[in-house]
Amino acid sequence: MRLNDALLGAILLGFAGWIWWLTSFFPAFPGQDYGPNLFPRILATGIGLCALVLVLRGVRSRAPLLVVEGWVMQPARLISFLLIPLAAVAYILVSDPLGFIPTAFLLLLGLFLWFKARPVVALPVAAGMTLLVHWFFAGLMRVPLPRGILDSVL
Amino acid sequence: MDPLLQAFGLVFDPFVLAVIGLSAIFGMFVGAMPGLTATMATALLVPVTFFMPPVPALGAIVTATTMAIFAGDIPGAMLRMPGTPASAAYADESYAMTQKGQLNLCMGVNLVFSVGGGLIGVAVLIAFAPMLAEVAINFSSYEYFWLACLGLTCAVFMSNADPVKGFLSLFFGLLLATVGIDPAAGFPRFTFDDVNLMGGVNFIATMIGMFAVSELMRGAVTVDATTKVVTQAVGNLFRGLGGVFRRYWVNFLRGSFIGTAIGALPGAGADIAAWISYAVSKRFSKQPEKFGTGEVEGIVDATSANNSALGSAWIPALVFGIPGDSITAIVIGVLYMKGMNPGPTVFQENPQLIYSVFLIFILANLIMLPLGYAAIKSARQILRVPRNLLLPVILLFCLVGSFAMTNSLYGVVLMLAMGILGWIMEEHGIPIAPLILGLVLGEMLEQTFVQSMIKADGAFLDFFSRPIAGTLGVLTLMIWLVMLARGFRRSPVPNAA
Repeated sequence: MRLNDALLGAILLGFAGWIWWLTSFFPAFPGQDYGPNLFPRILATGIGLCALVLVLRGVRSRAPLLVVEGWVMQPARLISFLLIPLAAVAYILVSDPLGFIPTAFLLLLGLFLWFKARPVVALPVAAGMTLLVHWFFAGLMRVPLPRGILDSVL
Repeated sequence: MDPLLQAFGLVFDPFVLAVIGLSAIFGMFVGAMPGLTATMATALLVPVTFFMPPVPALGAIVTATTMAIFAGDIPGAMLRMPGTPASAAYADESYAMTQKGQLNLCMGVNLVFSVGGGLIGVAVLIAFAPMLAEVAINFSSYEYFWLACLGLTCAVFMSNADPVKGFLSLFFGLLLATVGIDPAAGFPRFTFDDVNLMGGVNFIATMIGMFAVSELMRGAVTVDATTKVVTQAVGNLFRGLGGVFRRYWVNFLRGSFIGTAIGALPGAGADIAAWISYAVSKRFSKQPEKFGTGEVEGIVDATSANNSALGSAWIPALVFGIPGDSITAIVIGVLYMKGMNPGPTVFQENPQLIYSVFLIFILANLIMLPLGYAAIKSARQILRVPRNLLLPVILLFCLVGSFAMTNSLYGVVLMLAMGILGWIMEEHGIPIAPLILGLVLGEMLEQTFVQSMIKADGAFLDFFSRPIAGTLGVLTLMIWLVMLARGFRRSPVPNAA
């Protein structure tokens, strides 16, 4: 999936403007000419200039506004692609109430099965990897992985 | 006690050796799996090494990357799929050799010349880093400002992408580095009143997102693609190597030194070293027409180059705190986390640590010989590991790893956002490496810039007032001019793909 350079440039121009606008709320210190807004403003200018070049190029090239590769049209592949970020979102939402072990197990199992692993393989690997990761990070490295519903057991 | 002896004590400790051994196996595996890169291996290792003392933590990174860059050659020769981008330059050539029935020779050359190139890179690191550190001890904010500029410019210049997009990526990385409490005035910038953002953008979570999650998203699309099966068995790897060395020892030395030089340049790492030395090899070959048909000559150059680049990339990282490639960018992040800010003072205050890194490098290259041999012999099994199981497991590592970096879901959210951003950037041909370098160097660049501006009271000419600063400044400006001129010449490109 690829936006035309002109469109990408326009979005980035807006972004640079927004950054500049945000820096206008930074405090100035009397007697100090180079305050916290100096460097971000230089960067915003840089992004703006690059964006301008992209806009000019994009307008000249007359390429389509949006180029989409073939796999986006294949529902199964699109879902495979989306499942990676969605799995992360799911982890963010449910790992705390549910706990790390059930969340990780279900995520792994779901992804394995979607990617067409045989259940005979998927179940033990999901369980084994979950416990291995939990043992290593929570046990050895003392990372406070959420306990969730297993709080009383662990 | 003598720092060198201390270093021996630090490295030859059972725990450290165990960490090195395990990371070597991990690196071999990641390198040999197409789609998993050495940078990804490093980013995933950092959360694991987070709670370790500095020497095993650095040892794990050094060993894993050394192995991964070699192991990338294995699927290149067997399947025509480079295991890491650093092997992409000669994957076709290696595969052509395999088809001619020379898989044994090809793998033997890759293994032995990788070790040789790696050792040359380490030798240069050992010889030059302490020398440079002595010079760098007198550097002021002007020199560091220009060094950072030069490093960042190199990152854009050397990434094969369109310079406009390279600079865009760089500016974005620098901007990300400004998030958090401003170092000079103590004012929170771009934090949107979020406590997590006050501490800045977590560097490792960003790396895991950019280098692992975006790669997983790309990999998920093709996970069901039928994997090719290795058919040829590997026999005696070392037969015929003597002849290759006698004929191509010049290529070996040339490749190693080109690799070392490119590795030491900020922003350019093993992959670019391999491409350039392969091209140089072809240019100066007596039989350039044979390149691409399964000739060992170019492979000797390139496989030595990518391993030698690894060691020398540590020179600017350790001496100036300027990363030589995206792997050492992570290393710098690790050093800061361990409270050992890279720079010339590390060489004076913690010389035993520097010597330990040197020792581990030598050790890693030496154990590569037996381990690489084992990896080649068991390549058929490694390459059979199903990707539909591997991808979700790596995702779990990413989730837990980024969680561990902040001990909160903030790391995971950041990782996800950066993963999506990384994917979008790659789709639009915007390189990721400049962003990473910008994020690492942003604070140093801003601090030295503002300090220098205050010292010079706005007179920009003062930035050139010291001899080394002046030279570096002129050099940087010259590269900018060359890039501008190139940009103008290239500008009437109808569709810059």
